[in-house]
Amino acid sequence: MTDIKHKAFIFDATRCIDCRACMVACSVENKIDMDKTRIWVAGIGMKGQFPNLTRASMVYHCMHCNEPDCLSACPVGAYSQRSDGPVLYNKDKCIGCRYCMNACPFGVPHFDFNKGLLEGAFIDKCTFCPQRIDIGLQPACVATCPTNALVYGERADLVAEAHARIQAHPDRYVDHVYGEFENGGTSYLILSHVPFAELGLPPLTERPVKEVSEEVMGFTIPFAVTWGAILSGTAVAVHWFNKRKEAVAAEKEAKAEDLQETPK
Amino acid sequence: MKMQIALNKRLHIGLLPLALLAFMGIAFVIAMVRYVSGIGAVSNLGNSYPWGFWISFDLFTGVAISSGGFLMAANVYIFELKQFKPLLRPSILTAFLGYIMVVVALLVDLGHPERIWYMLIHMNGTSVLLEIGICVMTYLTVLAIEFAPVLFEGLKWQKFAHLIHRFIMPFVILGVVLSTLHQSSLGSLLLIQPAKLYPLWWTPILPVLFFTSAITIGLGMVILESSVSARYFKRGLETTLLEKLARVIPIVLAIYLVIKFSQLTIAGDLKYLFTSGLMSVLFWSEILIGAVIPIVLFSIKRIRQSDTGLLTGAVILLLGMILNRFDVSWFAVTHPDPITYIPTFMANNVHYFPSLPEVLVSVGIFSAGILAFGLAVKYLPVFEAEQHHDTA
Repeated sequence: MTDIKHKAFIFDATRCIDCRACMVACSVENKIDMDKTRIWVAGIGMKGQFPNLTRASMVYHCMHCNEPDCLSACPVGAYSQRSDGPVLYNKDKCIGCRYCMNACPFGVPHFDFNKGLLEGAFIDKCTFCPQRIDIGLQPACVATCPTNALVYGERADLVAEAHARIQAHPDRYVDHVYGEFENGGTSYLILSHVPFAELGLPPLTERPVKEVSEEVMGFTIPFAVTWGAILSGTAVAVHWFNKRKEAVAAEKEAKAEDLQETPK
Repeated sequence: MKMQIALNKRLHIGLLPLALLAFMGIAFVIAMVRYVSGIGAVSNLGNSYPWGFWISFDLFTGVAISSGGFLMAANVYIFELKQFKPLLRPSILTAFLGYIMVVVALLVDLGHPERIWYMLIHMNGTSVLLEIGICVMTYLTVLAIEFAPVLFEGLKWQKFAHLIHRFIMPFVILGVVLSTLHQSSLGSLLLIQPAKLYPLWWTPILPVLFFTSAITIGLGMVILESSVSARYFKRGLETTLLEKLARVIPIVLAIYLVIKFSQLTIAGDLKYLFTSGLMSVLFWSEILIGAVIPIVLFSIKRIRQSDTGLLTGAVILLLGMILNRFDVSWFAVTHPDPITYIPTFMANNVHYFPSLPEVLVSVGIFSAGILAFGLAVKYLPVFEAEQHHDTA
């Protein structure tokens, strides 16, 4: 399992029974409190009128975007992306500006607002369990899931698998794999029987949200150089023009004085 | 000996400086609590609202109202409009203090203020925030250099003042370039939130809009600070100069409005103008207060020529434009709906409103700025005509 080139998950909302074992697994594996787990099951609740009821729950953690916006936004490069997909956060570089939280369209990174300087307040988010996947194990949440609502594997295979599931049961699924193209593609692919908006997933285009920001940033250096040159040129030109004006004025004055003086 | 005289004089003036000192003390205590127990202990910031009042007021507003410094420096040094010299020093002082206030506020807001210098060693070139950080740090240095002659003259070190004055040009140009960059980049900071910022505000040309409005804010601040300090220190007001600045404001604001509405038309966002409830109200408030009313007021010669008219116009303009900064960085930003999916880390503070201590921190920092401005004006040759060390 270590030779997976682009590691990814499927989450199938039709299979999730809201047991929250994945949260416990995450808490145990990463030694974090249950109220700060990096994975979260959100019960969407009952919808509709009896007897036509639907119920859905959404398992949520870092989408591990192919084009991570957090990584683009972080001023000090605390985020990195492994060549096999996982997006990682390095707390040793973090300055706590929380711009990544603003950048992430899914609201994934979370910050410890209740810790002071000495305890150290940091960002936390799903790491894709590198300590497990690197020795061939599945991430803790996937390994625990009793209904296989979470599946781990090669992204290309999982995309095919997701479409195959939809084709096998078109009545059961919304005909869309969320994350296949959203935000430039994510490593977390979501299948659902209810509209994705009901699961709280934002409607996103194929263009990652960081795109315009990065394009504009690309202009910075050329703009600074050009603007600096224009300003310097203006300053020199204005100075030269004023000097000349003064000189001409002085000349005129001198002439006028000469004229005044000659008759005397 | 001098210290004592200063103290006595200050005690004579009485209430205002004392009130400012009290606010500073309160802010200091709150900041200490924040450093010991975390940002959540003093503020209502949380995972659903990672940025709030501090960013909108201290960073966005603080940087914007400090733009008078580079405008006046450009006027006097680059365009050699020497008549504006009396306004140069107070504007540089405002900018200098403004940026110090921004940095101090960020040291409260950052999770790891002791690591702020990491921006210099771990640079991520795609980050707009890095650009702003670097620009602000560098520009603060430039402002210190631009303001240094005033301090040296106050200390009667004419030689140093003279020396700096001789080599000021490169710093002025650097200052204007840096200001252009980060005034506009504050707008670019929101570009990464196309899914979160309301379409009436999100546009790829946010940096252009920010820079254009920053010019009007800077001019407004020059008028405001001159008017207020003239009243407080019973000093003559440079009404004719301010009138000239005020004449420019309607032109820049008109350009701003044209850019803004052309953009909305081209992007096809005109449909949101009247149909977005609170967002429409906010949008029209900032357009009316920040642009339309100031255009009307400053187009009337009688208003431009009266001290009260100038002050009123500037205050209205600033209120509207500050509302714009709050809209863009806070009011019009929605984070993913925490009601549909509720990760625990998003469950707190679904509706953000700043806590009292949060506001008091900003009030305290602002008070320190006002006090420093007052002291500088009192003891340094800020409002005095530049002393003769022009070599040319």
